[in-house]
Amino acid sequence: MSLPEAEIGAVGTTGGRDPADVAPPTGLWKDALGRLRRDRSAMAGLAVIACFAFLAIAAPLIAPEPPSSRTYLERLEGACCPGPSAGHLFGLDDLGRDALSRVIYGARTSLLIAVVSVAIGLGIGLVLGALAGYVGGAADAVVMRLVDIMLAIPALLFAIGLVAALGPGLVQLMVAVGVVNVPIFARLLRGSMLSVRESDYVSAARSLGLRPARILFVHVLPNALSPVIVAATLAMATAIVEVAGLGFLGLGNPDPSVPEWGSMLANTPRFLASAPHLALFPGIAIVLAVLGFNLIGDGLREALDPKFRR
Amino acid sequence: MAWYVVRRLALAVPVLFGVSLLVFLWVRALPGGPAQGLLGERADPAAVEAVERQYGLDRPVYEQYGRYVGSLVRLEFGQSITSHQPVLSEIARRFPATAELAAAAMLFAVAAGVPLGVLAAKRRQTWVDQASLVGSLIGISIPIFFLALLLKYVFAVRLGWLPSIGRLDALLSLPHPTNLYTVDALLAGDWEAFADVLRHLLLPAIALGTIPLAIIARITRAAVLDVISEDYVRTARAKGIARRLVDRRHILRNALLPVSTVVGLQTGLLLSGAVLTETVFAWGGIGTWIYDAIRFRDYPVLQGGILFLAVLFLLVNLLVDLSYALIDPRVRYR
Repeated sequence: MSLPEAEIGAVGTTGGRDPADVAPPTGLWKDALGRLRRDRSAMAGLAVIACFAFLAIAAPLIAPEPPSSRTYLERLEGACCPGPSAGHLFGLDDLGRDALSRVIYGARTSLLIAVVSVAIGLGIGLVLGALAGYVGGAADAVVMRLVDIMLAIPALLFAIGLVAALGPGLVQLMVAVGVVNVPIFARLLRGSMLSVRESDYVSAARSLGLRPARILFVHVLPNALSPVIVAATLAMATAIVEVAGLGFLGLGNPDPSVPEWGSMLANTPRFLASAPHLALFPGIAIVLAVLGFNLIGDGLREALDPKFRR
Repeated sequence: MAWYVVRRLALAVPVLFGVSLLVFLWVRALPGGPAQGLLGERADPAAVEAVERQYGLDRPVYEQYGRYVGSLVRLEFGQSITSHQPVLSEIARRFPATAELAAAAMLFAVAAGVPLGVLAAKRRQTWVDQASLVGSLIGISIPIFFLALLLKYVFAVRLGWLPSIGRLDALLSLPHPTNLYTVDALLAGDWEAFADVLRHLLLPAIALGTIPLAIIARITRAAVLDVISEDYVRTARAKGIARRLVDRRHILRNALLPVSTVVGLQTGLLLSGAVLTETVFAWGGIGTWIYDAIRFRDYPVLQGGILFLAVLFLLVNLLVDLSYALIDPRVRYR
């Protein structure tokens, strides 16, 4: 009789057989990946993000028009913002640009900003968090006070302030949204480092006389990292919302040839009564992308949580 | 408990000091200054100099900071450069608008989120549970300003049921002793105005409250599921205590602890979301005020306003921690 591997793993007893040929030992990551693959909503999220990633990469091939080419409105009898039609599936915006093309190109900007800004936040946050959690003492006190200060300022205002200071532009947006994320990662990594540092296997490594750097990179970091991975995925979702919020407030990327979903919404309140489609499509794109990252993040959380391990 | 509060407040002092320094340095790092904000980019240099002298901006930075901290200790926040109003009186006028909006949003979130979470937990793995899960996922994923625009389009533009901007109909007049319009209307005994204020409050509060609603529903569901399998719940049921009583005293009361944490955390986040909600609904609150101040480089408003928000955030966090002791008698602070 042959049982699927998952079923055997679930039983918990080996039924008198040699344990070696029942459940092969699996590592945390392999195990987590398997569980993630069985998680339907996480897979749905992954599919959504994969679609957006495809749109982002293949934008010039898919988009019907370049993002800043205009259909002159005079030719459209001057009415602002014709709605969806056969020629322009998502309609035209207030400058006569094809909204579908801009949503497709917008995937590029939004995903790029999300990935880079999370990388920035993660990078700085990890260094600060590792410093605080592993070194401790004065470093811990200084880092945590800095984190407290940053957290005491509402995130969006913080980001607005940074964009205002750095000036408009794509890189500045990434830095602003990234820096706002720093305290979250720093605090998270510090907490999980503190708990790992006290664990038996780290004491064992220390008593074997391993160098602190080796203990940090080989024993502490990999084990402290799984909550960070979950947080990073969820931070992608937040980053997309934050970038869109900045864009909506008119602080987005000033270059019209690089459309971004939030900026596409910036002008829409004025045309809400006559052209609601202008707000609808970029808005839906934001919701889907954010939903996708949230689903993956939730799935990862469950897959990486030892409580759910079988 | 009193000692704990004193210690927490003492710990907040260095944080606030840090915020004040950070904001002080940041506003000076902004390109341009209040003089350019006030007079335009091509202003006469002499006029710019005059404005800078008037506000002490021609002094060395460390001297400016010294003066600023000195005035903070005296609880003086200076005067707005654009409106010439004292920053404190602007806060007194605008903060109630934001507070009213945030309170209404939180009320909506708790009033809908907790029952939804309880229902989802009790009907676990039925369509009710699934629907509330999907709903809360969408609720978490929808940006505030997009939801605000959607609500405004459907209920104000299309259906015309609710007003789309502002806090009170322009044709209604109301004295504003508190600037919390609901309270003002009640104090004046003006029911027509009260109803109108509520109508204005509804859409912004829903837009701002949806994310906390979704999060509260999820946390409540998880907390109720945790508690529902506890021995004391089984014992209470076995004793034959009425179902409703077990739900309220044994389950809900214990499940509320994590929920109250989330409510507190989300209250802090509401201040962030308020900027966007206030923009869409032309709500004259503190979010749009600070946003405008950034555009006009209104240093005193930025320094005072952001510091005020930081104080508020720290106070809310303290209140959340203190509320644990109220909800859970096992929690004691020393």
